[in-house]
Amino acid sequence: MFCIVAFVVLSILGIFSAANRRLAKEALDCVFRRITFRPCNTGFDEKMKAKILGKLIMRSERLASFINKRFELLAWIFFVIGMAALVMSVRGVVLWYTTGSCNGVNSEAFCVFDPTGANNEVSSVETGCSVTPVTINDLTLDGVDVAAFPTLNAGNPGTPIIFIGCYSCDYSRATYPIIRKLVDHYNTPLIYLEYPVKLHSDYLNKVGYCAYKQEPFKYFWMFNDALFAAEKSQIEDQAFVEKTLKDLGFDMSALQACIADPTTAAVVEGQLEQIRDTGFYGTPTIFIGDEVFVGPKPYRVYAIALKGFFYWLAQ
Amino acid sequence: MDVTKIRRDFPALSDPGLVYFDTACQSLRPQSVLDAMDAYYREYPACSGRSMHHLAARVTQKVDDARTITAKFLNASKKEEVIFTRNTTEGINLVANALSFKPGDVILITDKEHNSNLIPWQKLCRQKGTLLKIVPTQTNGTFDLDAYAKLLNPNVKLVSFGHTSNLDGVTIPAAEIIKLAHKNGSHVLLDAAQSAPHRQLNVKSLDVDFLAFSGHKLLGPSGTGVLYGKYALLDAMEPFLVGGDTVASSTYESAEFLPPPEKFEAGLQDYAGIIGLAAALQYLQKVGFDAIQKQELEVTRVLTAGLQGIPGLHIIGPADLALRGGITTFYIDGIDSHRIALMLDQMRGITVRSGQHCVHSWFHSRGIAGSVRASAYFYNTVDEAQLVIDHLLKIRKVL
Repeated sequence: MFCIVAFVVLSILGIFSAANRRLAKEALDCVFRRITFRPCNTGFDEKMKAKILGKLIMRSERLASFINKRFELLAWIFFVIGMAALVMSVRGVVLWYTTGSCNGVNSEAFCVFDPTGANNEVSSVETGCSVTPVTINDLTLDGVDVAAFPTLNAGNPGTPIIFIGCYSCDYSRATYPIIRKLVDHYNTPLIYLEYPVKLHSDYLNKVGYCAYKQEPFKYFWMFNDALFAAEKSQIEDQAFVEKTLKDLGFDMSALQACIADPTTAAVVEGQLEQIRDTGFYGTPTIFIGDEVFVGPKPYRVYAIALKGFFYWLAQ
Repeated sequence: MDVTKIRRDFPALSDPGLVYFDTACQSLRPQSVLDAMDAYYREYPACSGRSMHHLAARVTQKVDDARTITAKFLNASKKEEVIFTRNTTEGINLVANALSFKPGDVILITDKEHNSNLIPWQKLCRQKGTLLKIVPTQTNGTFDLDAYAKLLNPNVKLVSFGHTSNLDGVTIPAAEIIKLAHKNGSHVLLDAAQSAPHRQLNVKSLDVDFLAFSGHKLLGPSGTGVLYGKYALLDAMEPFLVGGDTVASSTYESAEFLPPPEKFEAGLQDYAGIIGLAAALQYLQKVGFDAIQKQELEVTRVLTAGLQGIPGLHIIGPADLALRGGITTFYIDGIDSHRIALMLDQMRGITVRSGQHCVHSWFHSRGIAGSVRASAYFYNTVDEAQLVIDHLLKIRKVL
């Protein structure tokens, strides 16, 4: 058993040292002999045991004696721990690849592959938004009339992506281009739910609602793209927004009338209420099928949720 | 002898983490040997006995001097009786291949010969139909003259014994053995690999026919050795390895061989090694074998006394430490010898040899798995011997 433990440890150390690579090779030979029910004749286990005990004995004779008497048992314990660590490590890598976090989707616990936690950052909802933060498990689209929100590629086959975002939130801004790329590649439906986490951009909800009502296809999405591409300070500038709409060819007088219409305010408030009912606690929150992603994830994470592990093979 | 001063001559001993007790395998080298070799490569790195230029002349002179020094070291009648080899093994192989043997000839060896003095004779038996007979040693490891005398008969062509055993350090009574052999009409070859470094050899007074030793065990460079042979015997022998520098002239059909030693030194030799070997012999002569043996005995005394207090430890060889020279071989019940050696090295840089020391036949016949060999030389101190004991006690306590 010691040979197996030594092989694993020395293989890792062998990445950095030629001497350890040589020992790892010896350990492998020993492992091979053991699994073919032959004695390890390289003397490797004896050599390593002597080296370990030789070091220990100079520090503590009691410890050396303890380890000498229980060497095989300790090797087994290390083997089991090693195997568990290996399984956990593989799990961590798979989770990181598929969810962006070693610890599972939306986990904010430390992940060595994402040490800054960038894949799980969110723009938290503020108390003023009247949203009570909940957990990932409480997120639901039940009660949300998604058909009433702006939809790109409506009617196309494929799992729709439901994106709760915020024009002026950093993480939504980081994620939006990724989602757009995904949607453009797979022509899958995208439903965008704007929730103004930053209160000074809340006027954009009515603007967006009216713009979509007027031009639900190409021009609304050009407007949406423009808002995510613009500087945050520009988004809060109504003149910039109006100019953008005008440049895109929107009927500004009809748009102004729509925005001023009390019915619009009621509809928008109703939509915000629906978004709050999802239980979301930060933007971006993205629903793809049964999965929910909070925070900006790499492209592959969304693609896997949409098309499976081998998404690059899918059309 | 001032051991502290002596130790300063050995660069390897400047490392305070090294406690070297593996001289029976290979000795350390003094600075003078390193300097001699270095000078060859730096100042006159040329051929000996071939080219005519001034560098070659210097090498030729140095090699000739080395042969003279070696002859004096052995008290040989003339320097032409000294053949430079790569090691003791090559010397023995040279005799096995160059001395004339016929089917039925008997070669006598002891039961604790190094493989180098066993395998060449086994090969000869297969190739020429000679017979190999074993002289058993006494239970305490000393030579059994009676058993030897009983095995001597007219068919015994050669007696080939290890002068000092690399297993237990026991030195055989070479003079009596040789006398009996000659009386029987047999030649004698002494494997002096373990005796040449530790005692004054005198081939003339011993009247030995052949004697081989290695440079690397007596402060000399690795890959150097010497075969001494009585000139008349050498002259009558066919060369072993042949080629360049062994002949005076050649035609497409035949060659005219040079007299000894040239006819046994085929090809370009290790001149740096030969010159270094001469420097080593000079160093040993300067220190003196009386002083060397005295220091070794002192170290061995401390080692032996300490080892005897370790439970389960068995010393291989006679209890009388004077009979064991600088070699102390032991095993501890239930503890693998390699583990002991590795742990000593890990714990304090104590370097000893472990295993069967190329005497597999002896270990197999006695059912002993292996042993640890601590071999002392005149550069070892009693403090170092005590370190070995202290660390062995720790190992015994823990394992």
